[in-house]
Amino acid sequence: MPADQPFVAMEGVSFAYPTLTGATGRQILSGVDLQVRRGQLVALMGGSGSGKTTILRLLGGQVKPQSGTVKVDGRNVHALGHAELFALRRRMGMLFQFGALFTDMSVFENVAFPLREHTDLPDSAIRDLVLMKLNAVGLRGAQALMPAEISGGMARRVALARAIALDPQLIMYDEPFAGLDPISLGITANLIRSLGAALNAASIIVTHDVAESLQIVDYIYFLAEGKIVAQGTPDEIRASSMPYVQQFVAGSPDGPVRFHYPAPDYAADLGLAK
Amino acid sequence: MRAFIENIGHGLIDAIAKLGYFARLFVLTLRQSGTAFARLRLTIAQVHFIGNYSLVIIVVSGLFVGFVLGLQGYNTLQRYGSEQALGLLVALSLVRELGPVVTALLFAGRAGTSITAEIGLMKAGEQLTAMEMMAVSPVARVLAPRFWAGVVSMPLLAAMFSAVGIFGGYIVGVVMIGVDEGAFWSQMQTGVDWMDDVANGVIKSIVFGIAVTFIAVFEGYDSLPTPEGVSRATTRTVVSSSLAVLALDFILTALMFSKG
Repeated sequence: MPADQPFVAMEGVSFAYPTLTGATGRQILSGVDLQVRRGQLVALMGGSGSGKTTILRLLGGQVKPQSGTVKVDGRNVHALGHAELFALRRRMGMLFQFGALFTDMSVFENVAFPLREHTDLPDSAIRDLVLMKLNAVGLRGAQALMPAEISGGMARRVALARAIALDPQLIMYDEPFAGLDPISLGITANLIRSLGAALNAASIIVTHDVAESLQIVDYIYFLAEGKIVAQGTPDEIRASSMPYVQQFVAGSPDGPVRFHYPAPDYAADLGLAK
Repeated sequence: MRAFIENIGHGLIDAIAKLGYFARLFVLTLRQSGTAFARLRLTIAQVHFIGNYSLVIIVVSGLFVGFVLGLQGYNTLQRYGSEQALGLLVALSLVRELGPVVTALLFAGRAGTSITAEIGLMKAGEQLTAMEMMAVSPVARVLAPRFWAGVVSMPLLAAMFSAVGIFGGYIVGVVMIGVDEGAFWSQMQTGVDWMDDVANGVIKSIVFGIAVTFIAVFEGYDSLPTPEGVSRATTRTVVSSSLAVLALDFILTALMFSKG
């Protein structure tokens, strides 16, 4: 693969969750084009329900698009067989919104999990690798604790250590900042930046934390109602005159994205209309 | 009226779809059972969790069922002057029927529910999705070891139940009521057939083990990933697996013990 070719490429991807009767339901994504290169940190932004997480699910091959192609490392994810898809997933790391740590295993065992499943390394080598990964997220001292005994921010960091256990080439972060205190948030943001650089991985971060992400990412895609409505570098986004982006960056309650859920006339609803 | 007919149709289609999914997941679990045997430690840990922790309830229940069998059996047998056969009656009742059936029902309540709840909560916490994204099949890593652990545990627990039950019958019949001890044991030894009674009982409990554990595993895996969904799945495990055990027991008994 030539060096300048993107590691992740989506072309004209449309997606709707199928319903029981076989018909397609509400359109989640329509005609999405997106590219991420190795070493690049890209943010997907947009309101809740704009289809950001669905993009990650498509990249991981968990759901199938109705049209368009999703390529990772030049391979069409949805044309792969089960074994090939699993082989590709070994080169991906994913950080789930709340960490998704295995609650019946210690912090150490959680990080060791991918290593034990996918390698034949002896215990001593696994131990060294796990401690290195935990050290990278600053939690080497917490190795013996159970997930129930650590805070939400720590759980997210353990999950991050687990996601990078096999040195992935693509790292996906689903809302890594949601529900974190300012200190944990800063730590997590720095880790995302530095880990992506250290592994030379393509990183995709799904977030609606505008202020934090504008500081760390290289490129931003803005999603609204399943379409990419704006994209650019952080400076371009800050300078954008698009009302939607403006509203998002400024955090205004009303704008192109309405504060009110569609409703009949207020006065009429209260029975005050003549 | 039309909505009513539509509802029936939807319900039927859902039920058939679920049955199909159940069958496919069963085949998939069997096909992906390699890990459960190649890494025996995973399965042994589950045997410990599922089997060992069910031991107390099994032993206590077995003892009481044995007590009751001793009392009831003696009451009926002494009317015909054949209280010598008490040992035989207690042993046959337990080995053929009560051992496998009651163990399976208790197992559904004790271990089945915990399997369903555990898998359901793993699903709700995105742990199963996380596993899939790490290129690890949850069916091979989570479902299969639990399934085989249940299948292995059930006959062992049933044997334990029967043994303790016979001891309970002995305490009530021989020690407390005073039935002749020699007759109690010798009638049992001559009357209980190794193949007809013991082996058939073991076969029953293996079948129950497959049914109960797989229903528990399936309900957890199929549950809606919400607190409400998991609680409903847990209830369904107890209801479906109890009914399945009783229905299977009838079928197996008909196959095994109807002569001619």
